[in-house]
Amino acid sequence: MLAAAAVLAAAVLVFRLRPSDAPPPPTIQRGGQIVASVRAEPRSFNRFVSRDQVTELLTILTQGRLARINRATYELEPWLAEKWESSADGRTHTLHLRSGVTWSDGAPFTSADVLFSFQAVFDGKARSVIASSLTVGGQPIRARAPDPQTVVLTYAAPSGPGLRLLDNLPILPKHKLEAALAGGTFASAWNASTPPADIVGTGPFIVREYQPGQRVVLDRNPRYWRRAEDGSALPYLDRIVLEIIPEQNAELLRLQAGELDLTSSELRPEDYVPVREAEDQGRLRLIELGVGPDADAFWFCLKPEVKGKNPLFAVVQRREFRQAISHAVDRDAFVETVFLGAAVPAWGPVTPGNPQWFWPDVPRYAHDDELAGRLLDDLGLRKRDPSGVRKTAEGVEARFTVLTQRGIGWYERGAAVLRDELMRIGIVLDIVPLEFGALIERLLACDYDAVYYRPLATDLDPAGNLDFWLSSGSAHLWNIGQRTPASEWERRIDTLMLEQAASLDFERRLQQFNLVQQILAENVPVLYFAAPRLYYAHSPRLRGVVPTVQRPPVLWNADRLGVTR
Amino acid sequence: MIAFLARRLLFAFALVIVVSSSALLLTRLAPGDVTAQLGPFAPAAEVAGTRARFDLDRGAAEQWLRWSSRAARFDFGDSFLYNRPVRELLGGAAVNTAVLAAAALLVATALGIPLGMLSGSGGAGAGLIRGVSLVCLSAPPLLTSLLFVFLAATTRWFPAGGMTSVDALDGGWSTWLTDVAAHLPVPALALALPIAATFERLQAQSMAEALEQPFIVAAAARGVAPRDIIVRHAWRVSLRPICGVYGIAVGALLSGSFVVEFVTAWPGLGRLTYEALRARDIYLVAGCAAAGGAFLAAGSLVGDLLLAAADPRVREQGAP
Repeated sequence: MLAAAAVLAAAVLVFRLRPSDAPPPPTIQRGGQIVASVRAEPRSFNRFVSRDQVTELLTILTQGRLARINRATYELEPWLAEKWESSADGRTHTLHLRSGVTWSDGAPFTSADVLFSFQAVFDGKARSVIASSLTVGGQPIRARAPDPQTVVLTYAAPSGPGLRLLDNLPILPKHKLEAALAGGTFASAWNASTPPADIVGTGPFIVREYQPGQRVVLDRNPRYWRRAEDGSALPYLDRIVLEIIPEQNAELLRLQAGELDLTSSELRPEDYVPVREAEDQGRLRLIELGVGPDADAFWFCLKPEVKGKNPLFAVVQRREFRQAISHAVDRDAFVETVFLGAAVPAWGPVTPGNPQWFWPDVPRYAHDDELAGRLLDDLGLRKRDPSGVRKTAEGVEARFTVLTQRGIGWYERGAAVLRDELMRIGIVLDIVPLEFGALIERLLACDYDAVYYRPLATDLDPAGNLDFWLSSGSAHLWNIGQRTPASEWERRIDTLMLEQAASLDFERRLQQFNLVQQILAENVPVLYFAAPRLYYAHSPRLRGVVPTVQRPPVLWNADRLGVTR
Repeated sequence: MIAFLARRLLFAFALVIVVSSSALLLTRLAPGDVTAQLGPFAPAAEVAGTRARFDLDRGAAEQWLRWSSRAARFDFGDSFLYNRPVRELLGGAAVNTAVLAAAALLVATALGIPLGMLSGSGGAGAGLIRGVSLVCLSAPPLLTSLLFVFLAATTRWFPAGGMTSVDALDGGWSTWLTDVAAHLPVPALALALPIAATFERLQAQSMAEALEQPFIVAAAARGVAPRDIIVRHAWRVSLRPICGVYGIAVGALLSGSFVVEFVTAWPGLGRLTYEALRARDIYLVAGCAAAGGAFLAAGSLVGDLLLAAADPRVREQGAP
């Protein structure tokens, strides 16, 4: 009954959704302000030392990069560098900087700022959190400047992502931060107590005021370099206010009341109905962003040095066991029950939300309890008594504890559905919801049987997620940080991924990555069930919205946003 | 009286030390730590650097010693979440909470005491007042806050959250004060209602007991008007338990404000504490606990002083 209601609700919802706004018409009105929400304080105004989402958002609004990945088209766009040439071996890139660009305080932007930014990223005392994303072949990217308008970048090895790596690097003003870097205080420079006037950038907005616990106010940067198609100055808006609202229900109420124009992230499944009602009354616009780039994940700890003595480990490490679980889960029903229909079944970590790298032919496991049962029987896990719970020949019950994050509705629903699905084939799951910190501590120590969680990929390009794919990686979920690959198939994935990351031929990269996805699906170290569809709501007065499944879904394009009056 | 104040200050000092030290140690001993905020798979070097910055790579006792020696100089360490000294954060947040708490106490007193007098003296609507009080006492602060935010968002009579609006940025002090006053009703009412209900129940019970005292009966026999008996004689006597509970009410305001400030986005100590606890931001938790302890001690002191003012027996004894 519940599932049927969910299907109906989802069907009605999808039917009613409209495509997002088209790109801004040339007649878009200039001026005005919008109020957006964020859920936390900015930890810093310096993206080099802080990876939190609010700092990233502020960096998008206030700083420029040499080249930018368009969040809607996934294409690399010239930004502070207006053009470039690359050598045939893909190791040397000559970038020509846009002329006439100035910092928001009027100082000229030159190649010295680019060299300074590279120097800061790789300075040991700066402790930059983005350094690893600008490392190729284990070596930092080297930069030199033949003249004030030209920068030459040298990679230690060919790189598949090539200049797309530059999207990770905001260019910072040398004249403002040079002293901090020289004095060893760069890590604390531009922190949350820095006067806004000291924070200058080449982005569309400048920080006007930060009121801790309340808001960040950003005003239009009158010296912003970018122009609209008709030659008029961007951005259109005079001001963006980021209200800090930690509680998501209150955030939604304020959005419905018109106190907010947009939120920083997508809606929860349970928010669709009230938002749709507000849309019917003309107070909000509801848009479907598409399938998210990240699927949920369920995995067992496969670290032999930690789990080797567990009597069930011999079974768990067999891929047939994990395949049996995959067969036991009805993904269509999972989507309806856990995500109220707002998701698509998933079979691997790459979802349709990542169209460049998604492989629709990835091996799938049809829902088949009988086949699951046979696979478990063959492993010696049989139903040996009327309890219906499978046991090993030694009488050990197939009973596992699954950890998940407390307080997130769909995590708890997902774990409950898995428990019910696996109970049908005789496997018992005990669910333990934990606070985020406790969950992470146990996850990193492999102090768990299984985990249900949604790890977020750091990059859509698989070469940017080597920490997940490589057996030595810090995000290799099931067996983190191996010295040598624990299995032959992991060794194979290591080899393929390293080759793929260093290849300049996109088609070859794609083939190699499809093979990697196939190996992963065959060995199922992680099981994927659903990738959520993402929905977003904003005020109807907002114009120029180009939504994307990546965060921030709308403000990534802030210089082209406008409002009706 | 001086001895009484000195004892109270000593008590406040001890309370702040015990509460903040306990908060630090409990946060340290609870599963997980602040490095979880770096993300599940942050590079090991970054995790190690963060642990070193917050002394999490040292033993709990050593960490406490280092922290307490700094705290004695009012240096409570840095906050991970805000990436700035805890001391800088506490000042502003404490003032904001004090404003909210004062408003809530005022509302609670203005509502609870007269209604308690009315229901305690068997006046009209006593049953209705009692019923409403019970509802207010049993409603969890999360629900009350969301209800008021919902009402504000629906009616648009008041701003639904925050302490100021962006429109007040360019105004002067008077604009700012007006703006803060407009933002106060939602969190203040959410915070005040359960306390008003507590005051009402206490006042009603105390008033009923006072009305049965022999001197009240004698006053009635002398022909004193019923209104004067209640207001001039019985009420004063019945105030003792209310004054006694004022200190506890300040503590309740602080604990209630965790949720109310979080939901209504009021930038106070309660919200700061809540966020610090969720993130295991160890020095911010300890700093907030110290500030909370100071609040509690101050509330207790105010309660005692009120009691002394209301009851001559307390003044004569020198201390409650």
